Amino acid sequence: MALTSQSKFVDQYVDPVGKSVPRIEGRGIVTGQLKYAFDVYFPNMLVGKMLRSPHPHARIISIDTSKAEALPGVKAIVTAQDTHQIKFGSNEYFFPHTVDQMALESLKVRYIGDEVAAVAAVDDETADAALRLIDVKYEVLPGVFEIEEAMKPGAPQIHESLNNIAVILPVNFGNPERVMKEADLVREDKFWCPVAHPSPMEPHVCVGQWETFTNKITLWSSSQAPFKCREALAKTLKMDLNDVRVIKMAVGGGFGGKLEMLPMDFAACLLSKKAGGLPVKICLTREEEFTTTRRKHGMIYKIKTGVKKDGTILAITGEVLADGGAYCSYGPTVLAAAIMRIFMVYKIQHFRMSGYRVYTNNPISGAMRGFGGVQSGFAIESHMDMIAKDLGMDPVDFRLKNITSPNMVTVNKMILTTNGLQECIEKACDASGWRQKHGKMKHLKRGIGIGIAADVMGSKMYKSHESAGAIVKVEEDGSVYLFTGAADTGQGSNTALSQIAAHELGVSFSRIKCKSGDTEITPFDTGSFASRVTFISGNAALLGGKDAKLQILEIVAKDNNLNLDDLDIKAEKVIIKKDGRVLMSFDRALELCYSFKYGKQIIGRGSYNPKTTPIDFRTGEGNVSGSYGFEAQIAEVEVDTDTGNVKLLELWDAHDIGRAINPQSVEGQIEGSLAMGIGYTFYEELRFKNGRVLNANFAGYRVPRSIGIPKMNSILIETNDPEGPFGAKGMGEASLLPTSAAIANAVEDAIGVRIKELPITPEKIIKALKEKKG
Amino acid sequence: MLLNPLTLHLPKSSLEAAKLYKELEDSKVLAGGTFLLNSMKLLKTKGTKTARNILSLGHLEDLKGVSFQNDTLTIKTMTRINELFESPLLNGHLRILHTVCRNISTNPIRNMATVGGNLTCRYTWTEMGAVMIALDANMHFLGPDGKEDIVTAENFFKNGARCEKLFTHVTIKVNSHARCSYRRVRKTLHVDIPMLAVCVKTDLIGKQWYNSRVGINNGVAFAQRDHLLEEFLNKSFSSADLGKEALEHLTTAIYDTRSSDYKQHIFRVSLKSAIEEICQ
Amino acid sequence: MSVNLTINKKQYSLELKGNETLLEVLRDKLSMTGTKTACQETECGTCTVMINGKAVLSCITLAANVQGDEITTIEGLAQGDVLHPVQQAYVDCGSVQCGFCIPGMIMSSVALLEKKPEPTQEEIEYALDGNICRCAGYPKIFQAVREAGKKMKNSVIASEAKQSL
Repeated sequence: MALTSQSKFVDQYVDPVGKSVPRIEGRGIVTGQLKYAFDVYFPNMLVGKMLRSPHPHARIISIDTSKAEALPGVKAIVTAQDTHQIKFGSNEYFFPHTVDQMALESLKVRYIGDEVAAVAAVDDETADAALRLIDVKYEVLPGVFEIEEAMKPGAPQIHESLNNIAVILPVNFGNPERVMKEADLVREDKFWCPVAHPSPMEPHVCVGQWETFTNKITLWSSSQAPFKCREALAKTLKMDLNDVRVIKMAVGGGFGGKLEMLPMDFAACLLSKKAGGLPVKICLTREEEFTTTRRKHGMIYKIKTGVKKDGTILAITGEVLADGGAYCSYGPTVLAAAIMRIFMVYKIQHFRMSGYRVYTNNPISGAMRGFGGVQSGFAIESHMDMIAKDLGMDPVDFRLKNITSPNMVTVNKMILTTNGLQECIEKACDASGWRQKHGKMKHLKRGIGIGIAADVMGSKMYKSHESAGAIVKVEEDGSVYLFTGAADTGQGSNTALSQIAAHELGVSFSRIKCKSGDTEITPFDTGSFASRVTFISGNAALLGGKDAKLQILEIVAKDNNLNLDDLDIKAEKVIIKKDGRVLMSFDRALELCYSFKYGKQIIGRGSYNPKTTPIDFRTGEGNVSGSYGFEAQIAEVEVDTDTGNVKLLELWDAHDIGRAINPQSVEGQIEGSLAMGIGYTFYEELRFKNGRVLNANFAGYRVPRSIGIPKMNSILIETNDPEGPFGAKGMGEASLLPTSAAIANAVEDAIGVRIKELPITPEKIIKALKEKKG
Repeated sequence: MLLNPLTLHLPKSSLEAAKLYKELEDSKVLAGGTFLLNSMKLLKTKGTKTARNILSLGHLEDLKGVSFQNDTLTIKTMTRINELFESPLLNGHLRILHTVCRNISTNPIRNMATVGGNLTCRYTWTEMGAVMIALDANMHFLGPDGKEDIVTAENFFKNGARCEKLFTHVTIKVNSHARCSYRRVRKTLHVDIPMLAVCVKTDLIGKQWYNSRVGINNGVAFAQRDHLLEEFLNKSFSSADLGKEALEHLTTAIYDTRSSDYKQHIFRVSLKSAIEEICQ
Repeated sequence: MSVNLTINKKQYSLELKGNETLLEVLRDKLSMTGTKTACQETECGTCTVMINGKAVLSCITLAANVQGDEITTIEGLAQGDVLHPVQQAYVDCGSVQCGFCIPGMIMSSVALLEKKPEPTQEEIEYALDGNICRCAGYPKIFQAVREAGKKMKNSVIASEAKQSL
């Protein structure tokens, strides 16, 4: 083995944690060589397509595939008859009754797009022609499309559930009705939070292959949660987990929409079986992407708060009605997040809020970045601002009076340890010039507004545990492999986790190769959601690196007659902890491990399950996260009162991220979240009529583009969390939670007009200004 | 395959193109392709038949370019929107074309879409119509016999934007007194198709308005003029209040038919603002 | 029909039906999967390539209609192992997240910078307005364009200086 005094691996990224290491995939991305599931091609691969219901609510009378089967070029067709007819869902552990979706329906369809059959053919045209030849006879049923209509007795029943209510979440603490009577001021507001769509640039796509001689399946997928997908496939196909392999390719964005198995994943595998083992690729069109995947829950958010005249919040009551669409998906957790996030942010003892997740014959609502926190962020932060105005108090002072503090337990038993919320608010105010601007720019039709939020790092949603695992394999030539189940969907987890593992192991970043998201090779991980990856998967990577390091040091200690506890590896060197004296290089230590005398393979293992409890859906109690992140966001706007156009001038986001593992990535996540928040505030609204999506394309559903993006200032606040890897918390969602409210509050500051129904459009501004005048 | 089977015709001269335009059955002209090919793909997904013969003008050099001679600006039909945007020949009140181009769709589309396509596509909401009417442009068409027909932009749109012959270029006469302004409003922030476009042009001699022309795209009908407003402006002098006063003299049917409250409001805001800009 | 295309300075002679879009030829016939598609309605920009130095959408370009034109795709930018300054800048500035929009975004950036190596902020915004990025929120993309432009300007100055010696 070649021995050089200067290791070939040493570069500027020794001790990589805290450094803006460029993305591992960077080169692959900019040369167009990185392979997504979208780019997977195999010889003899078939094109798969789904047959979908044209009706929002109907009984299936018969399905006749004979004409389609006879079409030359059609290799397989599957309907419910080819399946075990096992339902799947995303909350089976806590809400068995919400497991309500069939991969292929045979009895009833519940939204326009509900899957009834799937075909695999030699090319697109043949598959399309085959779909047209499948004859499905429907008995159309009356549909229900508005939340409040669906809840009325006598409304069309979509599932076997009372009044189409899938989940009720009653959250009660203290005695809010009694305490509300003691309030100096009581305010009640109702908000409408519209439906948005994740709209990742890469649509949902998968390739399924059934290995006919072993009856094992492989799914090349764009999933954010490959293990969850595997679990659902195994369940619905009645297979053992270890006969199902899900390989996550590079993912072109997920944002919550790719967090579960969809019927297309199931169909691709089953079609492959029926086609004698040929791989089948199913790629959704953009229209299918908008209408048949997962969307944000539209919510009616009612909130009533009683306060003392000094601004102290006494009691809060309210109601949240969520439009769940045809099936349950991650609905319960979204509902819980929509109600519970407030406890992380404000000190509250007396609280009663009921949440209802309601079935409608609209497309399916699921998880979308923010998980209910975007809707609640808009409602609550607008409402708090209005209270502050009624009291004649500065909105910042009002918040500072009521926010949570470090090292406290909330009324619903969330354990807040590090909490940088106050610092976030103060730093955001300083950076934006809040005190000089708020209430003082009306003559310029300019205004400034604030919104605050908190975020979790994971939550026990669909399993009893949410552990992550990691393997750190150190090879003889000095290269280090990190195997992690964490699903990088573009947020940079491969890079960040590699930084953590390398730093803990004590080596330069350039040694690390990362392999992630392959259910057969990498350890289990629940997936990329709830901003959990840096915290949970990061801790697993850290423990894996630590274990590998200890294995190496054991050999070094033995060989040099030293105590294991006296040694460490730092910056490529084995050192004596006490005085930092260098004993040998990392490469030399490895040589020793793999020498004739010892011959020891170094395979480090890490497993981390945060010490948390799931939300008890009877009481609303639960310390859902191992730590909590916080942020304060300030927006400055200028309004043109002739046209109604709101120009977003600048955004400041002060974020308690614990510790930035990769500052550039953290900023990138903040900026991306802010852009999504801007989108939700001004443009993004999926519109329905009788269950049909009216704007299922990018021309009609506008997402933020390069024009109209204001200056974004990210202020990173490091509170060094005791539980997080190197002090890091997670992040990725928080920055879009308060954006809509911050902007709505800024508009109010500028022109005295309050918009309570998103998106904020010129029409609404003009209408509100007219009403204000008249 | 994203498109139905087709036969691509590549004429080598504009005369050959004009002949094919007349002779080819079941055919469409391929200029920039941003409307045509996009709609052909969409129609195919719906199982609808699309044109078999595609007449491509893309390589005809004599149909490209912007030139200026004898006080006349000539814009050939295959001039891309971005080419017009970057043309150094847009001086004086012709600067308005620079503004119009800037606001059309997105950059790659501006690189592909053509002035000719924007004018002849028969979508009521495209921008160029209102501007060409306001600028009193002439539209030139070439017949298979090599003879040229000239139609004013206004009459072209009055005739439902129908092209009997091959559209080759637009000519716009300039004069030093001309002043021009343009306003365009998106069809809500959702959709980047313009809800409306207004173009006001006048010959300003001192403060008096002469030969005023107001071109309107209301997204519902083809581009047209507002004669009532023009009549009023032609009796007027520039002042701070002219924009406001002008709102009393509108052909309201143009702005208020099939129009939301906001659209009616923003039309008036746009017209007022456009007139005020010229008054400055 | 026989169609001859010049892609990344190489000649390709293909037997086509005639109704193929340039996008289909690139991805399906030539396995050049760097160019993506995400909407098939001219809105997303992931199919952006350069034709004669201008950023255009390959999903609405007929392959048979661009014979004789210089087509450049993302695969044609790097010189062997050396990344194009725009590619390098995107990596260095942290402008890449999921990456799906990036090939199209880079093509639009290169088309801009080759004409204007020192664009204004407004010029950058308008040049990229046809490319949707759902991950990065744009600031780091703007930064990458500015830095790449500086490098490209300096290397033009350097090579002109060299030539004048």
